Amino acid sequence: MKRLLMACALGLLLNVGAQAAGFEARAATPAPELKAQDLTGATRTLADYRGKVVLLNFWASWCPPCLREMPSMERLRVKMKGRPLAIVALDSAETPEEVNAFLFKMKLGFPILLDPDGSNTQRWKVFALPTTFLLDAQGRVRYVLTGPTEWDEDEALEVIESLLAELPARSKQRESGRLTPR
Amino acid sequence: MPDYRAFPAEGARLLLWVASERGRAEPELQAAQQLAERGMAVWSLDPVSAYFLPQLPSSMDSVPVQDMADWLRAAQAGGKRVVVYAVSRAAVPLLRAAALLQPVERQQLCVLLMYPNLYTVAEPLTAPDFLDVGRLSGLPVRVLQPRRSAATPWLPGLLDHLTKQGALTSHVILENLREGYWMRETPTEFEMAESRRMDAMLLRELNDWGCQ
Repeated sequence: MKRLLMACALGLLLNVGAQAAGFEARAATPAPELKAQDLTGATRTLADYRGKVVLLNFWASWCPPCLREMPSMERLRVKMKGRPLAIVALDSAETPEEVNAFLFKMKLGFPILLDPDGSNTQRWKVFALPTTFLLDAQGRVRYVLTGPTEWDEDEALEVIESLLAELPARSKQRESGRLTPR
Repeated sequence: MPDYRAFPAEGARLLLWVASERGRAEPELQAAQQLAERGMAVWSLDPVSAYFLPQLPSSMDSVPVQDMADWLRAAQAGGKRVVVYAVSRAAVPLLRAAALLQPVERQQLCVLLMYPNLYTVAEPLTAPDFLDVGRLSGLPVRVLQPRRSAATPWLPGLLDHLTKQGALTSHVILENLREGYWMRETPTEFEMAESRRMDAMLLRELNDWGCQ
């Protein structure tokens, strides 16, 4: 109960607790629908990332803990370059102008999706920011994290590596460059 | 009755200010003083301090509801128009106390809820569930919701829940503000300015609502 109520306290409490608690493992449940536009106006869905482990991060530019963990997501992207990991950050219920104003100040190499009407936020039942879902290559939710973390180290990296380790041999070969993707 | 701090004034309205589970912040006291100077009496209650509770949302569920109901009745006995303003999880004991009142007593209140937290369940991938706070038939409730909040997309569900409990609901979105903007560690310039004019914001919302 305490955990539930803390989650409800949203950004205010998360602002106080700098580092996140542990990842919550889920029983490989199918992910809700994701349908959102990126900054170019192109529509993105989870199908775009099928076959990859997906880190789906819900954030907002007004949320300090969200902004604190963003650099570590960028470092993770660089560290994992060439490996089957997709990092996707979905901005919750802000306008494109608000998001672009933030991105002018912080350069990020992973895709940013927009959710101006909060419909994805509602489908994924996100009540606190940041909230991050880790999906396996079959598009199933495997871990949930409410609150920020350092994505390129320790527990976060271990969890991501464990999901990458589940990938079939063909993907791993492709990952190491021994098999050319068709 | 709980121990509260009074800011007397000669006007026709009395505001009962119930601070959040994070305790009463200095800007809230300043706003109470400013309201009193503008003619609106204020009784300021900090439940976690009054009942020696930890500063946690769950503490609000432990506030004695009968005490709160007695407080509401004492306020109404003074003959002024009673307005209640509760922040975050403080909405829980306040609404439960209102549910204990007689319908005629309840209908005479105006209740402003600042980003009320009425969840029982709020877990990712799980549908939200709200507390049953009792029958609120005829209770006028206006929710003040800062736009910059993860709760904003969930506001329609919260209003629907309150309506099903019998409340007469309405809401206002407070643009460019975050929850608890008056006690943020790193407030924006706008939030700092709004913290200084909380008294004006409350008067404006009450007047626009028709709670004279």
